[in-house]
Amino acid sequence: MRILLVEDDPDLSRQLKLTLADAGYAVDHAPDGEEAQYLGENEPYDAVILDLGLPKVDGVSVLERWRRGNVATPVLILTARGAWSDKVAGFDAGADDYLAKPFHTEELLARLRALLRRSAGHAAPSLSCGALRLDPRAARASVNGEPLRLTSLEYRLLHYMMMHQGRVIGRTELVEHLYDQDFDRDSNTIEVFIGRLRKKLGADRIETVRGLGYRLTPLEGEATA
Amino acid sequence: MLFAGGWTLLVVLVAGVFLTVQFREAAIRRFDQSLAVLTDDLYAGSTIEDGQLRAPFLTDIRATRAYSGRYWVILDKTPDGAMRPVVRSRSLIDSDLMLSSAQIDRLEAAPGKTQYFDMRGPQDKPLRAAVIQAQLPGYANPVVFLAAEDRSPIDADADHFARITAFALLILGGGLILAVVVQVRFGLQPLFRLRREVASVRRGKAERLADDYPEELEPLSRELNALLAHNQEVVERQRTHVGNLAHALKTPLSVMLTEASQQPGQLAEVVERQAQTMREQVDHHLRRARAAARSQTSGERTPVEPILDELAVTLERIFQGKSDGRGVEIDWRCPEDLAFQGEKQDFMELAGNVMENAGKWCKGRIRAEAAPSGEARMLLTVDDDGPGLPPEERALALKRGQRLDENAPGTGLGLSIVDELARAYGGSVKLGESPLGGLRVTLDLPRAET
Repeated sequence: MRILLVEDDPDLSRQLKLTLADAGYAVDHAPDGEEAQYLGENEPYDAVILDLGLPKVDGVSVLERWRRGNVATPVLILTARGAWSDKVAGFDAGADDYLAKPFHTEELLARLRALLRRSAGHAAPSLSCGALRLDPRAARASVNGEPLRLTSLEYRLLHYMMMHQGRVIGRTELVEHLYDQDFDRDSNTIEVFIGRLRKKLGADRIETVRGLGYRLTPLEGEATA
Repeated sequence: MLFAGGWTLLVVLVAGVFLTVQFREAAIRRFDQSLAVLTDDLYAGSTIEDGQLRAPFLTDIRATRAYSGRYWVILDKTPDGAMRPVVRSRSLIDSDLMLSSAQIDRLEAAPGKTQYFDMRGPQDKPLRAAVIQAQLPGYANPVVFLAAEDRSPIDADADHFARITAFALLILGGGLILAVVVQVRFGLQPLFRLRREVASVRRGKAERLADDYPEELEPLSRELNALLAHNQEVVERQRTHVGNLAHALKTPLSVMLTEASQQPGQLAEVVERQAQTMREQVDHHLRRARAAARSQTSGERTPVEPILDELAVTLERIFQGKSDGRGVEIDWRCPEDLAFQGEKQDFMELAGNVMENAGKWCKGRIRAEAAPSGEARMLLTVDDDGPGLPPEERALALKRGQRLDENAPGTGLGLSIVDELARAYGGSVKLGESPLGGLRVTLDLPRAET
């Protein structure tokens, strides 16, 4: 397993390199944002440990550039900034996990193992509907290559609709596939989720068929998959 | 407004009196002039024949009719000072026009000059008289020529004019006062609006003033907005400084912790314990600085829905390895127009920590619901399907939150931060039983008016 460690503090870098090497990983080290970006784009790493406060280019920008350049390597953010607004920003940029300093090395190693295990999951064919794409392996969806931020319930609903695209799907059927168990949900649950999906996908992709349900279709002019 | 009204009334009153007096004086002057002509005619036409005074023949018909209102008389001033009428107009019949002694003195003082007097005539009518005292050649005594006319018509005219003026000015004054009222009511409306908006900024209902003010007020509203922006910037900078300091300490702490963990021994234990304390101190003061900065900002309005969405997505990613990779499912509900009265970062900390706590303990399901409750309040309820807490431990979990020092981060429920922050906003945290089987955390927080 080959890991890229991006950290500007020399002491911490030295310690982490030792720890990771002891745990059996091959470690490359980048002390600033520019080098990190270059290495991440050109070397096949299994995971990246990324500090956010970096010289030259900050960590969030490096991560955003990787993701825009289709570098899908799992990234664990390691940062002093532990506020929720920082975490949200990190995940928005495309992080897979987040660990706030100061931390225990055992915790870092555990998170790293989990990250590698998840990314090794079996591949499944991705689904598409016009410019909308859904990757079941990473549980991610995108429109025109722009990643969508979906909660698991929203993702599940979209996944089901994409598997049955072009067909009118009734509300009851959708509720049944949204929740594994039979919960006492108010009748507008589906409307709430359809509303949120429309907000994130664009209003025209999901059509309301009065009295029957909803239908997912590609936009006019978009090639059907 | 009262002052403006009073002032208007005063000005109108002075103008009215001035106009009326002017009109009366002008009318009397004209009147006097026609009388003076008659007096001059009398004076010029009078002759002395055989030591006797003869009045001219005057054609003025009005002076011939009895009590017509126009009179004349020629008086002989005897050496003893008495006035003896010599000739009088027929209109006087047998009445006399008497001069007062003061008037006689004035005539004596200026012989040959026409003087004008007010006097009483027949039937006690007010008269205006033009009088001249002169010395006629061949006549021993000074002679006084007096022409008089009833002045009641000009008095009536003047009164009429005064009434009309008063009426017109009353309308003018009323109109002016009305204009003042309208000016204040409507002309100053933007100022009232400005005051209301500043108040709503202070209460956190708005972040800045609108920019659709009339030309005169626009510079003021612009300056106010600039002041607000500056204020926010200062607070933001302060917060950034404190944050930078605190965060700068965290990497060295990490190094110390790691180093200590790799070299077991007494020193390592001490370093570990001390580093932990330092970390708590840093976190504590970071929050304190934030709270101090918060009290300086004018209240902000933070929409809840997008934050719950962001947190749900983020937390599901954080916990995606949980329960053998099944992860956590966060089902959240929130009305789109619900807004928290306070800072975005703080609401993120509140909701994020409560939801993270639920994520730590749940078996896989979290339900979060935000809803308005009562006057300017909102409730954030977070349920999980974990083991929950027995009632006696719930009270303890909240009590612990009161003293930060006793509560090590990473242990316990991690709700002390939430409790501290909620209190800073005048809110509260309640722990209870969730219908999903686990713990229910309810936050009572201030809601921003829509």
